Amino acid sequence: MAVRILLGAALVTIVLAVFFTAAHPGPLRDLILVLALVVALALAAFLAPTLGPPAQPGTDEKSASEGGSLGFDDIIDALPVGVLTIGADGRIGVFNTAAGEIFGVASSRAGGRALIEIVRNSELDRRVSGSLRNGTAQTAEIVHSGAAERRLLVTTRPLNGDPRSGVVVIVSDQTRMRELEALRREFVSNVSHELRTPLTAVKLMVETLQSGVDQTAREQFLRSMADETERMIALVEDLLDLARLESGKLELRLSEVDVADLCRQAVQAQRARAQSGQIDLVCSTSEERLVIAADRDKLYQVVINLLDNALRHTPPEGTVTLRATRENGELAIEVADTGTGIPSSALPHIFERFFVVDPARTRGHSGTGLGLAIVKHIIEAHGGTIVARSELGAGSIFRCVLPA
Amino acid sequence: MGREDFHRILDETQQNVLRMGSLVEEAITKAVDALTRNDVKLAEEIMRADDYIDDLNVLIETNCLNLLALQQPMASDLRTIAAMLDIIIDLERIGDHACDIAQITKNLANEPQLKPLVDIPLMAAKAREMLRESLDAFSHRDANIAHAVPQKDDEVDRLYRKVFAELIQFMAKDPKAIGRASNLLLVALYLERIADHSTNICERVVYMVEGVPKKLKRSVIDFDQAIAHSDEIMQTGTASEQAAGS
Repeated sequence: MAVRILLGAALVTIVLAVFFTAAHPGPLRDLILVLALVVALALAAFLAPTLGPPAQPGTDEKSASEGGSLGFDDIIDALPVGVLTIGADGRIGVFNTAAGEIFGVASSRAGGRALIEIVRNSELDRRVSGSLRNGTAQTAEIVHSGAAERRLLVTTRPLNGDPRSGVVVIVSDQTRMRELEALRREFVSNVSHELRTPLTAVKLMVETLQSGVDQTAREQFLRSMADETERMIALVEDLLDLARLESGKLELRLSEVDVADLCRQAVQAQRARAQSGQIDLVCSTSEERLVIAADRDKLYQVVINLLDNALRHTPPEGTVTLRATRENGELAIEVADTGTGIPSSALPHIFERFFVVDPARTRGHSGTGLGLAIVKHIIEAHGGTIVARSELGAGSIFRCVLPA
Repeated sequence: MGREDFHRILDETQQNVLRMGSLVEEAITKAVDALTRNDVKLAEEIMRADDYIDDLNVLIETNCLNLLALQQPMASDLRTIAAMLDIIIDLERIGDHACDIAQITKNLANEPQLKPLVDIPLMAAKAREMLRESLDAFSHRDANIAHAVPQKDDEVDRLYRKVFAELIQFMAKDPKAIGRASNLLLVALYLERIADHSTNICERVVYMVEGVPKKLKRSVIDFDQAIAHSDEIMQTGTASEQAAGS
């Protein structure tokens, strides 16, 4: 608009000059005409670059391809990775929302502060200083101990290829990926161990049988081989069960199930193991019969898995109690132990597959970490819930509630 | 040195205090990690890294003294410099405690583990949290945070009394365990001292911000009570309660 006004004014000046000189002929006329022409040409030369199609309503006059400020900050802030810029003076310029979440700092507090004041990580500080000093780009995984420990992939790079312009830092949180990798490694190791132990035993027994033994030893070995084979089959079935549960392909075969009787049978099945571990195994039910609609085999698996877990984590002279009660129209199955307990940091993960609290704390083999994951899936498939409470050094309680 | 240089050096010195704090936090984390995993290599790395903490200590002290001698700072600048001179003493001691814990890891490397460590890592997590928040208070000049941190000392002291009682019981039951148990007692003591040093840092921050020296709440370990508690445990024989203790 301003351009058009100036052009209009220039044209009016020229027209007035022409009329004036026409009305007043003389030597002054030529001078005024020349001056008017010069002014018009100067204005044209000055304004030419700005002449062009008018701006569309609602857009910036600067073209979007030039990366105008409009939207760029929003783009940076929307990125799922942390983005920081550090000036040559060591002060933070950009500090996006993702960076704030990763480092546990409000983004609004970061601008203009030194990096070490906002993110107290000596490794990150050292790498940024290195990039500022040497102009080198580097990528590394670092550990950041804030409220929680995180593993971060950090890339530092000079801005515009010149460290005097500052450094840009890209931060990606790898914590969950590393946890999953560790879980996978532990699972593979556990499954391998669980399979290798019985396979080794079977191999030894086969070799011994092949070398020739008496009838009594032959029968004993064959029984042991059958037991070990059953153990391996049970492990593989657990894995397949879990895969079916997680894919939603489990079909419950519902029938009337007497949970009190089921609990008594489960306790009987674990009695010998409890006695060999000098653990007192107790069963109590609020009624002689507690009948609900359920898949008997799956519910039996739940109780066995919970008892197995409790017995594994209870030291000698401890107690494991299985309780089944009907309350408020629901059926509760509770397994309580006086064992080692579960650290509060592990409690939220206890039903995750492959999760083992601490193999060093369990008696005997640590298991595959699948038992409680299977229990949770089965209970939830029945429309129920399961919770775990624990106190380190005092024991744990696992409580399943099923619709009755 | 002009006034601009003074503020630049003062800022850099404060940043160096935070760098020193960051190194010390990492040293505690690694020291307890090394102890839990019986990692001698990590323990040696911690002991080597302490030299850098000591170098920073000297640098910060030198800068502070230079500023005091050459600039005659007043009011809040003077309090800041005085606070930094005290804070680095606490940080340097915490760094030394991390080294002491690393040395104990080396001492116990070839000994069987007395019991799985449970309460000692909990103490370490709490002490580290106190240190982190005390440095946050310094970084942001936040007296509210500084006032809140010492309240957490009670939990550290409770855990220390528990560890103390359990290890006394171990030593009483099995004289062969005395060497290992007393080393673990020292670890617990160092962690308790780290929590106290964090409270000291908070006191300096409060002085720096509010201009008035204050003693902040801290609890005192009653060792007689801890020993009496241990005797009670031995008499009732609740061994299962203690099984996963330290």
